[in-house]
Amino acid sequence: MDKILVVDGVTKEYPGRVAVKEASFQVTKGSIHGFLGPNGAGKSTTMKMIAGILPTTSGEIRLFGQKVLPENRELKNQLGLLPENPPLYEDMKVEKYLQYVAKLHGVKNTKEQVEKVMEELSLADVRGRLIGNLSKGYKQRVGLAQAIVYDAPFLILDEPTNGLDPQTVVELRDFIKKLSADKTILFSSHVLSEVEQLCDHITIIHKGKIRASGNLQDIHRKFRQGLVLKLGIGVGQKLPDLMSFGKYEINHHSTLSMEEQFLINFESETDIRSELGKFILDRGLNLMTLHIESPELEDIFLHMTETKK
Amino acid sequence: MIFTLWKKEIESYFSSPLAYVLIGLFSLISGIIFFNLLVSYTDGIQAMPQNYAEQISFVEEVVLKFFANVNFLFLVFIPLITMKLFSEEIRMETLDLYWMSPIREWQIVLSKTLAALTLVFSLLLITGVFPLVIWGVGIRDVHLLGTSYLAVMMNASAYIALGLFCSSISGNQIIAALLSVLGIMFLWMITWGGHLNSNYVVAEIFTYIGITSHFERLLRGILGTQDIIYYGSFVLVFSFLTVKSLGRRNW
Repeated sequence: MDKILVVDGVTKEYPGRVAVKEASFQVTKGSIHGFLGPNGAGKSTTMKMIAGILPTTSGEIRLFGQKVLPENRELKNQLGLLPENPPLYEDMKVEKYLQYVAKLHGVKNTKEQVEKVMEELSLADVRGRLIGNLSKGYKQRVGLAQAIVYDAPFLILDEPTNGLDPQTVVELRDFIKKLSADKTILFSSHVLSEVEQLCDHITIIHKGKIRASGNLQDIHRKFRQGLVLKLGIGVGQKLPDLMSFGKYEINHHSTLSMEEQFLINFESETDIRSELGKFILDRGLNLMTLHIESPELEDIFLHMTETKK
Repeated sequence: MIFTLWKKEIESYFSSPLAYVLIGLFSLISGIIFFNLLVSYTDGIQAMPQNYAEQISFVEEVVLKFFANVNFLFLVFIPLITMKLFSEEIRMETLDLYWMSPIREWQIVLSKTLAALTLVFSLLLITGVFPLVIWGVGIRDVHLLGTSYLAVMMNASAYIALGLFCSSISGNQIIAALLSVLGIMFLWMITWGGHLNSNYVVAEIFTYIGITSHFERLLRGILGTQDIIYYGSFVLVFSFLTVKSLGRRNW
């Protein structure tokens, strides 16, 4: 598979503080790559280094096989960036601003290109308004429009849906999904459900260090330690000792209207559902629920960012 | 590309009230100054005995004093013109837009310098009424008027280069403006320092470094190579420093 972006041992130091430490990960062509981490983990710093607008202290970043350096002007039109604070001129009108950005990147058919992008992002109605007077949602749309107006094949979007109303979030998400048809996208967020919906590959960063990176399924598999089963028995019934199935731990117990539900983590990975079902029924208990719980991205994320503190 | 960048800056100037306020204030103040110079000139003539009256030169008393006053007004007006050019972009993080594009630092600096010069030019345009008055009085020295305006524009370019540099090192417009005011005052003070020094060589060096001596020569209609070199290198050095200061932020 084509690696569009290779981040290789990149470190960013500020006086007295290491923002990113030996980060390495890769982004495959045509994927939406989720970049996850709590606030202050080093997401924005890493993204700005990839965009070539922040110097690295050490390490190398290669984009389309070329080293990212400020003087490498060939890369400039191949990469669109929506930073955390979109670079908007508040005293400019939406349409003029987008035309300006397009001209900066040497777009030939500026008018048509801007028209197309405004149409796609439903900005046509506000084309004549000053950017400073727009709502946050619209500003974010203009910010995104700015990143795609020169049709770069690789996009870096830093928390594009952060702090927006639910409807705009859904619209932007759909739009990003649509964009991925012919673009590669590196997309940061701390909303896990969003990443699960959009991304096929993820990288988790915490305190400047990459904790995990790769295919979402692979990461899921890697972090499923043992077997987690959801088991429901009749209300008021007691869970028998399950030591005959090996070591286990009850993660969670809740009493629902129809059942007592347990989340049990077995150390062994063997699927013991049929034996366990028989075991429960043999003891005269009602079996209400029994299925394998695949760990949520949230669990992985919390695991990565808490236990390694 | 420079034109695109320049046009954007000009539109930005004229989309805010600042440009109009500056032009209005400048024409008001320079008008008052010109009027007062005229009045004191005519008063001076009338107070003189008949035969001595022509010894008071109109050029000395009105034209040169007027342009020297314009130069003084620049101490306040030019920092107000240059203060936002980079500070605002640093504060709003809009420079990223340029760093993401194939635009080079020098192109940004050049276009912003040209935009500021354009605004200064439009300030001076209003004062174009005064040469007409002077013309009417019978002073028809095109060369003198030409070099006077040239002197003022040259000084303006130097102050703009300095102001732009100050703007590029701070995300705060007020600080940028104050730094440029101090910088311009320092340029004037170097010349005074030259006057105060008794060592001939040191005094000459001070006089050369200070902007005033060059400005005065130009005002009197003398345009020498040393002045061209002085203004040229001044603008280039500060533009270079601005490019470097931006580069430091960029990489």
